[in-house]
Order: sequence, then structure tokens, then C-alpha cells
Amino acid sequence: MPFTVLALGLALAVAQPSPTTVRARLSPVPIDIAMAEAIAGLGTVTATLTSMTLAVEGTYRGLRSPATSVRVLESAAPGLRGTLVGEFASGGGTSGAFKGTVTLTRDQVAAFVKGRLYVQVQSEKAPDGNLWGWLMPAKGRQ
Amino acid sequence: MARGLSRQAAWTAAALAGVLVAAGSTGRAPVVAAQGASTQPAAPTAPPIITAAQAAAGRDAYQARCAACHLPDLGGRNEASPLAGASFMSAWRTRSTKELYDYIRTSMPPGGATLGADEYLAITAFILRSNGAGTGSSALADATAVPIGSIATGSAPAATPTTTSAARPAGGPAAGAQPARPTTPPSRGLYVAGEVPRLSPVTDEMLRTPPDGDWLMARRTYQAWSHSPLAEITTSNVGSLRLAWVWNMNEGGSNQQMPLVHDGIVYLTNTMNEVQALDGATGELIWANQVGPNRAVGFGSMRNLAIYKDTIYLATTDAHLVALDARTGRKVWDTTIADASKGFSNTSGPIVVKGKVIQGLQGCDRYREERCFISAYDADTGALAWKFHTVAHTGEPGGDTWNNLPDMMRQGGETWIAGSYDPDVDLTFWGVAQAKPWMPVSRGTRPFDAAQHTASTVALNPATGQLVWRFQHLPAETLDLDEVFERVSVDIGAQKALFTIGKSGILWKLDRKTGALIDLAETIFQNVYSDIDRKTGRVTYRADILEQKIDQWIPSCPSTEGGHNWQAMTYHPGTQALVIPLSQSCMEIAARKVEQKAGEGGTAAGRRFFEMPGSNGNIGKLAAYDVRTLRELWSVEQRAPFLTAALSTGGGLVFIGDLDRYFRAFDVKTGKTLWQTRLGTSVQGFPVSFTANGRQYIAVTTGLGGGSPRQVPRTIAPEINHPSSGHALYVFEVGPR
Repeated sequence: MPFTVLALGLALAVAQPSPTTVRARLSPVPIDIAMAEAIAGLGTVTATLTSMTLAVEGTYRGLRSPATSVRVLESAAPGLRGTLVGEFASGGGTSGAFKGTVTLTRDQVAAFVKGRLYVQVQSEKAPDGNLWGWLMPAKGRQ
Repeated sequence: MARGLSRQAAWTAAALAGVLVAAGSTGRAPVVAAQGASTQPAAPTAPPIITAAQAAAGRDAYQARCAACHLPDLGGRNEASPLAGASFMSAWRTRSTKELYDYIRTSMPPGGATLGADEYLAITAFILRSNGAGTGSSALADATAVPIGSIATGSAPAATPTTTSAARPAGGPAAGAQPARPTTPPSRGLYVAGEVPRLSPVTDEMLRTPPDGDWLMARRTYQAWSHSPLAEITTSNVGSLRLAWVWNMNEGGSNQQMPLVHDGIVYLTNTMNEVQALDGATGELIWANQVGPNRAVGFGSMRNLAIYKDTIYLATTDAHLVALDARTGRKVWDTTIADASKGFSNTSGPIVVKGKVIQGLQGCDRYREERCFISAYDADTGALAWKFHTVAHTGEPGGDTWNNLPDMMRQGGETWIAGSYDPDVDLTFWGVAQAKPWMPVSRGTRPFDAAQHTASTVALNPATGQLVWRFQHLPAETLDLDEVFERVSVDIGAQKALFTIGKSGILWKLDRKTGALIDLAETIFQNVYSDIDRKTGRVTYRADILEQKIDQWIPSCPSTEGGHNWQAMTYHPGTQALVIPLSQSCMEIAARKVEQKAGEGGTAAGRRFFEMPGSNGNIGKLAAYDVRTLRELWSVEQRAPFLTAALSTGGGLVFIGDLDRYFRAFDVKTGKTLWQTRLGTSVQGFPVSFTANGRQYIAVTTGLGGGSPRQVPRTIAPEINHPSSGHALYVFEVGPR
């Protein structure tokens, strides 16, 4: 087992020889026009993967209620809702900044490389998500 | 294959377990009523929260402000959702009266206009009353918040008509009201008399090979190129393009017009079924005839006219086809295409092929005995020549692809964009819209029931209406990713290609002689199909889409905005490029329960929108594709969606307008912006180019109104503002006056 872990680590080290940075726009989760009274705003996020650690930082503005936390989630494809990878506190307020780190599994690293991780800012009026944005490294994206 | 069979088995099991099956002794017609929900309305449990006076006031306001889209009986049409009955309750039962009020207040009417708070409250009260809410001494207030399911059942009180005097489809959700003709002011008729000084009759040869300075039909040529060979305005001088004249148009409703131009005269449709003839050089009005009805229809426009000999052909929003004398505007004949009282309408006009006026039909989403069709009429008399039904009934070819639904419940298949024609193969090509309701779980079909001939290209013999071939782009289409739009004929060496693109964003290249797929290309990001077979065109839906349930929110990129929508592409022969207006947005869509009875149906889905991942918030995309390889040559992305068709010219230019009031000219070779101006409101319609007095002009309309191409940016790009009025025709020129 230790050998396996070592081998995996070496493989990832080969796959991730240097930090990979992706920037994304944060915009409202799916809404109809009436929901815009509670869910609005914009933001940006920068995510840097170093080995198995994803460092996430960004800003947001124009929320209808104070931000509560920031989540990193994994989806089956961009645009689909996903499962929680990690969560950390936001800076609060309707405008602000956030910064945190999430430790990824090997599969989650692969998901990041494929653009299937996304960042979601939660707020008091939008506990299921206020802003989100996919971390897509593809050419010309985000 | 095994995976597909497994899904089919799972769906069948679910249907047996959760679906009310009402198969009769004839062995046909499994009728889906609901999944996990009773069809019997529960009795209201909460005390009344509206007054009778408030509901009565709301009835009048509704008929004046809302009925044009949602219909007088609240039954809804296309993207204007039902506001009464089971579909409404499916969407709103668990939501509060305040949410309904807020939704109406913040989103209606479309286009930016607003009403007073009392009027919004009254309309909300009327909608609740129409769904069975009782009345009492308490009036609805903006803070009133009770679950709609606790006060309403979805059934109107028998003694309370929802309409005052408006007609509505039989068997609709508000059965019991007095049917009558809509109360609209009488149309103005030929209110400006005049005569076009010089008009050469339009011949079949002219339709096949139009004079360079004319724009004689939808998208200018039978091949639907939306291309003008005129070259006075070029990449070199377009920078000096300036306004020649402007003509204000009727306000209200949806303005998405394409002028028709012949001999320097501009023939222009307006909302409320009006045609005007204008001098193309000066903008001087020559004649105007408001054929009527005098009614704005918010989600419908009249996009194009047709001309043949000395006659202009107008399809009206109440499903009539009217012939007008092109010289004087006087009515020549008027024939009924379909019964408007049953919801049928038109939003696009006809094409004329060898003496036949060929017309599509809209408003085919309600359960009724009648079904949608394409029809042809004698150009001289208006006599019906043929009909082609776009939905297959039992026993007809393709009739076994509807899960044995009763024929009455096979709806959709609208043809709301004018078709095209190829004289070489003598076929007319039409896009057929998707089945209704939008989602199989609502309409009672399974994910593998193709629902012929919906979501297809049909190639018809223009003389007989006989189906020669059909290519179904999206069998069992399930997300309102419509494939109804333009069909563009291009010869590539010996290859006779037919191009089309729908909301899915897939650019299809067919053999227009046989309908065989030649190639395809994806133009925008999508997450709907787990596989698209480039050889066969067969798409495989994502697993959770196949396993959809009532009220389950299903993500979809693109959204119902498309991909591509009615804003037609252009073909520029000099570069062998298709230049295509595209949009980038996503949605979550939830199927609603539909009662399987006459008058029900509709689109039956709720939607929530969001920006497309990877788009950086750029909704609008304009891209050029090589017709030989389908390779993207260049693209331009911007925040505002493009709301006009693309127009290419012999001067090497592409013109297009957007929501943010910009009208721009691009270099067709590179996509570089060469000229831009900003107009009075959102630029919407079909730009054209023509000559008058020997000079080239570029014309485009501004307009409001429409379905998803307006609704989506209003939701996800609210910072883009434009005036809520300003329908107009703008005409541009270069050089001295």
C-alpha cells in the first residue's frame, strides 16, 4: 500500500510539474427573473493547483445578502450541479473577498484538469448557492 | 446498445409504476396523467385573501395587458406559460402568493414596460381567482404570502368567467366562461391611400434570380442566403455609413421584421397586422393598410412578407393569409389558414413557388383534434392547393413514434419560420418545431419515442405538398432545443448541401436531394448530449435527461435561447462562409404535469437561466464557418446577444444588431468591426440591403418583444438597458445626399 501511495504521488508529480492557475467569472446560479431579487451579483475567482492542494481566492460584489461561505464542488460536466469537495468561510458582507485552500483527491485533481470543478459563493438569502463559476482551463474559456 | 435498452426498460417500469395508464380495450392510448400526483384538486384550506372587486379589476387588466400572449383563457401559448389549470398549479402550488406577485411585478409585461402596483395586485388576484381562490373581505397586498396550493385548486369557479368578451379555445382550463369575439378596436383598413408609381410584376424568373437591388422574399433568395450582391458599400467606405431616413413603427407586441423591397419600394409589416409601402430613397409613405386584427401579440411577430406578380402576401397573427395589391395596398383576397379561436396563429410569412403561396403555422401546442400543417394556396385566388401535416397521426408514416398517444395529444410541429426552396431539385425545405409539451414526461412519450415529424427538416414537392424526404435532427426532443430555423442551400462543387442550425448549436450539413447527413459541427458548448455521431447525426442524451421526472430541475447548456434562434445566418459566396448569430446561455428546466384532455397541453415547463460556463459572461457570439469543412474561421463574442439576422453583402461586409442598441458592420473575412452606430432601442429583426434611385441602402429594424432571446438576457444580463419603446426602421447610406 505505501508503495502504491508513493507511486500515485510520483504520477501526480509528473502530471503536475508546476502550479496550474485558472481564473473564472462568478455569476448567479440558475434563476428566474423574480429570484433575482434575492440572488444577484458578480465576482471573480483564481484557483491554483499545487500538487494536491487547490488554493482559491476571489472577490464578489452586488449580493443581495451577506456571503456566508465558499464551496468547491465537483460536477459531472460544466453546467451540472455537483458534490461538495470542500468549503471555507467567506469574508462576509454583500461585497468582499475570500481565500482558502482545499485538499483534493486524485480523482478531484483529474476533475480539475477537465474543468469539472466549480466555486460557489453562498449567501444568507441563497443558502443553496448565490454565485458560481467553473474552473475551466480550456483555451479561450473564462 | 445494452445501455440504451436498460434505460428503455427503466423508463417503462417507471411509467407502469408511477403513471396513470388509461389504455382502453382497443389496446391503444396509454394516457399519462401525472407522476406521483393526484389529478383531483384539493380543497382550499386557507381563508380568502382576495376580494371580488380586486379580481374583477384584474380581469380587465389581464385582458388588456396579458391576454395577447397568455391568451384570454389564461391557457398560455409557447413561452407564455399557462396561468390556470393543472400546469399552472404544478408550477406554483408550493410557492407563495407573494412569489407569484413578485414574479409578475418584476418580469411582466416583457420588454421593460411596467404597471402600477395596484394593477399588478389585481392581475395576481385575477389569476388566483381563475384557479379557484375564494373571495372575501381581505384584499391581496404586496406582503400577502400564503401557499398558492392552500387557496387555489386550478379549477375556476363555475360562475366566474375568466374573460369578459374574449374568445378562447374550447375545453381550455377555464371552461365555463362565455365564448365571444375578442374586444379589440376595429382595424384601420386602408387608412393611407396612394399608388406606387412604377412597379414591374414579379415573375417566377425574378424569384429564381432576383434583381441585385431587390429583396423579394424571406432572406432574399430561394436559397435563403440573406446575402445581397450589392457592392457600393464596401469595407473601404463603410466607415462613412450614415442615417438616410428613419420610420417609426407601431409600438406594442414583438417587432422582428424583415422588409421586402422591389423597384425601390420598401414593403414593411408592422405589429397589429399592418403593411406599409414606403419610398426606399426618401422614407415617404405611399400607402398603409392595417388588415388587422388590431391586436398586439407579444410573443409573435410577422417576420416577412412575400411578393408575386403585383401582389403582396401577408400572413396575419390570427392565421389568415391576405393578398394586397402591391401598387395600392387594396385587399385582393383573404383566406383562413386555421381557426384563430383555437389558438392558431402565424409569426412568419410565406414563400411563393411557381404560383403557390406556401405558408407555415404557429400555435399548435394545445390538445385538440386539429394539428399543425404547412399549406399552399393559389397565388391568384387564395384557394387551398395542399396541406402537409407536420405531426404523424395513428396509421400514418411515423404514426408509431408517439407512444400510442391519442391523436389529439400529438401536438407541436409548428413551422414558425418561413421555408426555403431549391429550383434545381424542385423541393421546398421547412424546419418543423419540437413536440409539445416540451418534455416527454409531460407529453406522455418516452425518451425513445421520436415523435415524427417534429424537430425535423422536411423536403416537400411544392406542387403537391408530398413529403420527399425527412431528416429528424433530434428524435424525442426534450428540452425545447428547437430546430425550426432557416434552411440554406449551397452548392459546393457537385455537392448540393443544405445547412441548418437550431437551438442545440449543432450546424447540420445535409444532402438536399436525399436528406442524408453529410457532416455536422458543434458551434457552442453543450452538455445535453453525451454523444453526437458525426456520421449519422444520432444524438445520445445525458442519462439524467432520459430519466426525467415531473418537477425535477434538469440542467441544460444551451438554454432555450439557443445556440441559434430565429436570427438567421447568412451565406457569403465570396468567402464560402456561413456567418451565424449564436448565443451562449444555460438553464435548468423542469417538466410540469399536464392533464391529458382537450384544451390542455402547452409547453409545460419551468425554466431558470444562468451564464454558460466558459463564456466569461459573453452571451452573444457571431462566428463564420467554412461550408466545405465546417471549420470555424473567426468568431466575435460580446456580452449582449445578437438580436438580428446576419446580412452579408457583395462589399465584403456582415451587418448585425444587438440587444444593447448597437448595429455593426464586420469584415466578412476577419470578423473585424469596421463600423458601428447605436440606435433608439434594441436592434431586432432582419437587416436587408437594396437600391433605390440607383443607390445602395442598408435597412434594419429596432424592436422589443419575443421569447427566450429576450427573456434570457433580461434574467442574466439585467445591466443591459434599453428604452421600452422605439420600434422603427432605420435606413443607412454612404456618400452625399
